[in-house]
Amino acid sequence: MEDDPDIQTVTSMALGSLGGYTVRVCASAAEAIEAAPAFAPDLILLDVMMPGVDGLQTLKALREMPGTAATPVIFLTARVQPADVAQYRELDSLAVIRKPFEPTALVDTIHAIWSRHIAQAD
Amino acid sequence: MSPSLEELGQEYSTALRDYCTDGGEAALLRAYQLGRRAVGDGLGVLEVAALHHEALLAALVEIVALDEGARIAKRASEFFGECLAPFELTRRGFQEAHAAVCDLNQGLQQRLRAALDDFESARGELLEQKRLETLKNEFISVISHEVRTPLTSIHGALNLLKSGLGGELDAQGQRLLDVSYRNSQRLVRFVNDLLDLQRIESGTMTFNLRSVDLQSLLEQSIEASQAHASQLGIRLLLEGVPPRARVRVDADRMMQVMTNLLSNAAKFSPRGEAVAVEASRHGSRLRVGVTDRGPGVPPQFRGHIFEKFAQAQPSRERGGSGLGLSITKAIVENMGGHVGFDSVRGRTTFYFDLPEWRPRSGEGPEETWAAEP
Repeated sequence: MEDDPDIQTVTSMALGSLGGYTVRVCASAAEAIEAAPAFAPDLILLDVMMPGVDGLQTLKALREMPGTAATPVIFLTARVQPADVAQYRELDSLAVIRKPFEPTALVDTIHAIWSRHIAQAD
Repeated sequence: MSPSLEELGQEYSTALRDYCTDGGEAALLRAYQLGRRAVGDGLGVLEVAALHHEALLAALVEIVALDEGARIAKRASEFFGECLAPFELTRRGFQEAHAAVCDLNQGLQQRLRAALDDFESARGELLEQKRLETLKNEFISVISHEVRTPLTSIHGALNLLKSGLGGELDAQGQRLLDVSYRNSQRLVRFVNDLLDLQRIESGTMTFNLRSVDLQSLLEQSIEASQAHASQLGIRLLLEGVPPRARVRVDADRMMQVMTNLLSNAAKFSPRGEAVAVEASRHGSRLRVGVTDRGPGVPPQFRGHIFEKFAQAQPSRERGGSGLGLSITKAIVENMGGHVGFDSVRGRTTFYFDLPEWRPRSGEGPEETWAAEP
């Protein structure tokens, strides 16, 4: 979920074309909540600062839905003040990735985070 | 009438009669003593006057000779005046004491006012400092979001183009892409440096201290900076590390320090030269130096090279935020070390010292470190 169309393009291109992931881009919390059940994501990337319902509230809503109650979440954020990052860490998320990021490195990072998550889940 | 007042009244009466009859210093002294007693008993002038009035009436009744009246009245006045003398003394004493207390009070008030003024101005300064601090934090917050968001798209798009997504570019296109990407990286470094600076200044930068093998730390830092240095035509060399040297540091922050020093050294080196990294033991401390063959630090700049936004030649195409060395200094000092440099034309060494970490007997190395993914 990301409201900035340019960041949507860059991120989905990196994850789709370079990473080989199937990506569903949502521009708002409402769209994410509507799309989640049918798309059934293995991993959710959430932008924190959003107009209206923000990433943190979106996470709460997703956690109350059966399909995404336990889906791993990574926050992508331009709000990287220490207090903010500490707050995101406390929430039920795998990682906080700060903007700007290198999309090529993002693919590697997500791959590493994902592998670690799978290894812990086993 | 209380017993003491009654007793005093009788004594007063007797003494007055004696004085009026015989006069004499002894009787006057008696008047003075009675006055002292009255003061001591807490009597007022009006009460003594009432005693005097009664005593004088009694005296006039007893001393029948009426032609004596004028003399008796004069003596009675003298007697009464003497009796009131202690009251007079008390009043003066009180006035003096009052004046002294007033002086003291005034002095205290002045000191209090001065203290209040000091307090007010200190409070004003503090409030102003707080206001500026809030303003600065808000500014950095805005920068953080408003610059990071577009930069994420720009840097992301360039990064994907460089990765080959979008196909091969011709030589000119590739050069233009390199220029854009390099400068975009520079902006990314700047916003990250700004954030680090804010963390350092607000004391919220955290340090995860672990015992680390210095040789492998330096090898990894050289490896991480080699690509950037190669672009500038510079080789990075590790020249020597004392055997089994360990330091207790935050390894990621140490990598940041080394990246800063190596990137500075590479930037200021003539193309084709090498930058040398060397560690040495100095007593209980370890020193790591990064030496370049550049023009050296200009003399007028030496005193404030570690200050933030300090750059010898800001307009020159060196890149960098002017924050790197101040961040380096703060990080090193937070880990118990200190930074410095030696510079002559053609040979400049920036170094940092850290206490050497030694395991206590029977204790193995705390933890070995591997770079984060």
